[in-house]
Amino acid sequence: MAKRRAVIKIIDKKYAIGDVVKVQVIIIHPMETGFAKDKHSGALKPRFYVKKIEIYYNDKPVTSFELDVSASQNPKIKFPLKITEAGTLKVRFINSENEVTEKTTKVKPK
Amino acid sequence: MMQRRDFIKGSLLLSAAALFNPELYRHRLLAFEEAIEITYDQAVEAFSAGKKSVDGSALITLDIPTRPGSAVTIPVEINVKSPMNDEDYISAIAILTTKNKVNKAVTVDLSPANGMAYLFANIKLGETQEVVVLAKTNKGVIYKASKKIHVALSGCE
Repeated sequence: MAKRRAVIKIIDKKYAIGDVVKVQVIIIHPMETGFAKDKHSGALKPRFYVKKIEIYYNDKPVTSFELDVSASQNPKIKFPLKITEAGTLKVRFINSENEVTEKTTKVKPK
Repeated sequence: MMQRRDFIKGSLLLSAAALFNPELYRHRLLAFEEAIEITYDQAVEAFSAGKKSVDGSALITLDIPTRPGSAVTIPVEINVKSPMNDEDYISAIAILTTKNKVNKAVTVDLSPANGMAYLFANIKLGETQEVVVLAKTNKGVIYKASKKIHVALSGCE
């Protein structure tokens, strides 16, 4: 279980309650298709990719993404979110081996 | 003599069993099994469940570079015109490719809590092909928009 680098961040700097902001999530993760061969051994590299991304706003599920190997490696995704209250925003990355990476950020409307 | 013959037969059988032992090839077999190809029709069928799509080029704005520098990461930006209130909203958006081995890239589930129908994601392309975007409303209508992307170098090794 390698520890993976990931980030969730609200792109807009200033926002108030009722605004629609854009949120960006990135994870440093390979996207092995299962069709590519290893350059040295010639063996097929097994399929290994990010399967699902779930977003929770104050622990309530808001949005979920399903990814497949045609997404690029180190997937970067932006999505909209309507700010209704202050609190936390949590992202859960689940990869094809069911390894979970979680990151949180604070929502501070002004 | 009979004993020697039996011994040879037995050893041959044993070595044959070792040759065809699937445990020895397990990593190979797994790698082959896991590489599942998804055709474009299968990807569309999985998203729309048999419904026909309507031309939505007036509603869907695609922002993809026509000739990207690298095919490994191609930014895809989608904006769908929708009021996004409880009666009428976009419930899902899918980015599909047409000539990759796996023609499914990213699918998102949206709700009125998002306030806007927007998606940005990076995809990779194996060759010059059309990128298709499908958007599903809460009433089950599917809008389709596509753009041809010219790729000089393959993004898949």
